[in-house]
Amino acid sequence: MEKIILNNNIPLVLKENTNTPRHALCFYFKITEPEKKAGVYTLLNRLFLQGTKKRSAQVLAQELDENAIDCYSEMKQDFIRFKLQCLNEDFEKGLEILSDIIQNSTLEDFEKEVIKLKGEIQAELDEPKTLAMNAFYSTVFKNHPYGHTYTNILRDIDSITIEDVKNAYKSLLEKSPKVISLVGDFHSEDTAGLLNKYFENIQNCAETEISNSVEDIEKAQTVKVAKDDASQAQIIQGWRVPTIFDKDYAPIMVMNTMLGSSGLSSRLFLELRDKKGLAYVVRSTYEIYDNAALFNVYIATEPKNIKTSLEGFKVELDKVKQIPVTEAELENAKNNLLGKRQFFTETNLQQASLIAYYEDKGLGSDFERKFVDMVNSVTVEDIQRVANTYITDRYVLAVLAPQQFLKEL
Amino acid sequence: MENITKKEINYPYLTRPVEIYERENGHKIVLAHKEGGLVNVSSWVKTGSINETDENNGISHFLEHLMFKGTHKHKAGYFDRTLEAKGAIVNAATWKDYTFYYVTLPKGPENAYLKEAIELHADMMLDPVIPEEEIGPAFKLGDDKVSQKRERHVVIEEIRMRQDQPWTKIYNSTNFNMYTKHPYKRDVIGFPETIASIPRETIMDYYKTHYTPNNITTIVAGDFDTKEILELVCKAFDFKGRTNFENPEHELDTPVSEAKYIELKGKINTGFAITGWLGPVARDLKENIALEIVNVILGEGQSSRLYQNLIEKAKEPVFNVVTTDFYNFKDGGNFFVQANYKADKKDLALELIKREMTNFLNGDMTESEFVKAKKKLKVRFAESAETVSDIAENIGYYMTVCDDLDLVEQYSKALEEITIDEVNKIANKHLDLNHCVTTVLLPE
Repeated sequence: MEKIILNNNIPLVLKENTNTPRHALCFYFKITEPEKKAGVYTLLNRLFLQGTKKRSAQVLAQELDENAIDCYSEMKQDFIRFKLQCLNEDFEKGLEILSDIIQNSTLEDFEKEVIKLKGEIQAELDEPKTLAMNAFYSTVFKNHPYGHTYTNILRDIDSITIEDVKNAYKSLLEKSPKVISLVGDFHSEDTAGLLNKYFENIQNCAETEISNSVEDIEKAQTVKVAKDDASQAQIIQGWRVPTIFDKDYAPIMVMNTMLGSSGLSSRLFLELRDKKGLAYVVRSTYEIYDNAALFNVYIATEPKNIKTSLEGFKVELDKVKQIPVTEAELENAKNNLLGKRQFFTETNLQQASLIAYYEDKGLGSDFERKFVDMVNSVTVEDIQRVANTYITDRYVLAVLAPQQFLKEL
Repeated sequence: MENITKKEINYPYLTRPVEIYERENGHKIVLAHKEGGLVNVSSWVKTGSINETDENNGISHFLEHLMFKGTHKHKAGYFDRTLEAKGAIVNAATWKDYTFYYVTLPKGPENAYLKEAIELHADMMLDPVIPEEEIGPAFKLGDDKVSQKRERHVVIEEIRMRQDQPWTKIYNSTNFNMYTKHPYKRDVIGFPETIASIPRETIMDYYKTHYTPNNITTIVAGDFDTKEILELVCKAFDFKGRTNFENPEHELDTPVSEAKYIELKGKINTGFAITGWLGPVARDLKENIALEIVNVILGEGQSSRLYQNLIEKAKEPVFNVVTTDFYNFKDGGNFFVQANYKADKKDLALELIKREMTNFLNGDMTESEFVKAKKKLKVRFAESAETVSDIAENIGYYMTVCDDLDLVEQYSKALEEITIDEVNKIANKHLDLNHCVTTVLLPE
């Protein structure tokens, strides 16, 4: 791995993988001006592939397809990132198109995009799981852009103007700290030269302190969503926990693996699925954003099992708090967590994505190595401590089920 | 060492040919070389809903769940725990023509993890106990007093999950109505009633009948010494003289005699629709490529025709989503048009789709659309050569559904050679608007 600072001051992290047919590039733009109306960045993100000063949307799509170039942008809570993937020989063509999209998007189709987005959201909300998740996140992150879920976008979208989106675009180009990563077989190419050529007009912006703190969850809150023809109840329970910048990051990662994300051998899977037959899907997740993180448990179960499932969660969470895990189980969880990293970073694009993610967070592109050490030094006491510190009675619980099953909650 | 035949296939974008071995008993072993630290071990069994009846519908998938419940050597949980403690992703899947089981994991120091994965995987494939207490007692659906809720309930929850998915709901209805007698008409997962009551013996018999050497292909993908791994797989897969089973041939179904329309209702806010057609058998490479091309042009991604004409250039908003899909099956694939639309615009939506299909079938495909689709399909091989899991899955598909890997080698040439005229002809042969099935789902 090699880090170069481009002429425009944007850091470029390079990793060479010989014998791979496709280059993968990630370009991160940190969001420094949070949206005031839900959906501004979502719209901007969608408009990126809807035409530039040089290319109409159709020409753009056609050109990408003809060259089999995979180029798209993704909006996450803290950043918008562009991903570019193409056969090695088409890399320069890909760069030229990406550079055009980033700098020259016209945002012309704004009104049409609003209509399309509304329609797609309505279709999504017909899925019970999406509807339940929507309720959960808009409650956990009330009054914060992290809580700008589908229903909040529907609420705000008609008040969003093209000016709002143009300002967001301008802010992204001019005020965002930026990072580029590139992974592929490029031994003979002057990669830095190419990137300097195509991105010379995009300036980096120094990191500014963003004050965008997220309100704590003050007390237990339950949010109910009635859906009378649901065959399954959707249950999500979540707690606020520290982020990747905290010393407890690694212990929480390990706890999460052990409890509900190692696969078929996690505690929740064994106890709630294998032994009690409550669910097909039951798991925990550790979701990390820049200014907040969540530890969540999720189950989808027959509506009459809601109480049993919640009790099941409590029993398992209490166990972690009260009974020290065995060294063997701890070791297994660590090995699972670290071993699976290879699986999640197998392709050039996955690698590029992770490298840029770390660089964007200011953790350094070699953070993966540090992470291994951090995980290996997690102790039995750490697990018990983080469980007791963070899994408290300050949580948000969202339940979707037919009305009759929600009454007793 | 036993008698074993070997052949090699050039697999696009891999640095070495893929090696295919066939043992005397018919068990096939495929070894694919891919540089990197990850390996994938999988076995594909030639059984799925194609071998099911109304009485046992869902048994292939239920068995797949129960295969994880321990062997005479290792209790339930050992397999998952041991391999996941090495960073493995362990899972399985059941579809119409096949059931497959896989482990993806780091190969470990001197391939130690790979070797252990092969041993455990073979043990699971050949010696499942399927204990009564893991299946759970048979019960009557709706009986709240069931105390031992075990795997039967897990699968029933999986069925429930699918019942709540609007797309799955209308897919199942369309699929069911597209066939008259072929077993493909049944939903792979089956019905809760069957899963609640099917006895252990029936499942065990099904296992013994279908999990035979000639019906299994074992694939190892990754970076290893092929001689050593071949020997290990042969040793671990000791079928102990298990009798082979030849899958019965099923008569191919003919498309419905006239367009069929089914309307369902649900507590939703938008409208959903799927129209489906029967397609060519999987071994008909040219016809499959033709429909893959049609799929790319009509309904894949934002540059596709349906998206451009019905969403981007729409005079008034009717559609929220419109895509196509093409599935390959041994006894004939399926082509689908899928749409989500404003609930009060159902008739217009169906009419617009019909118009687009008619225009296409009348031969208005452009040269640039054709070239684009070809390039996309070509790159798909590069994509699927990037991970050991994708390589193995692709090989598994060809070995199981197409009976051989020869089509992989022929694919690029056939793709290169196919003409617009041929694609138009094949599209017209299969995608006849008078012989399709449409299911819509609307708000109550």
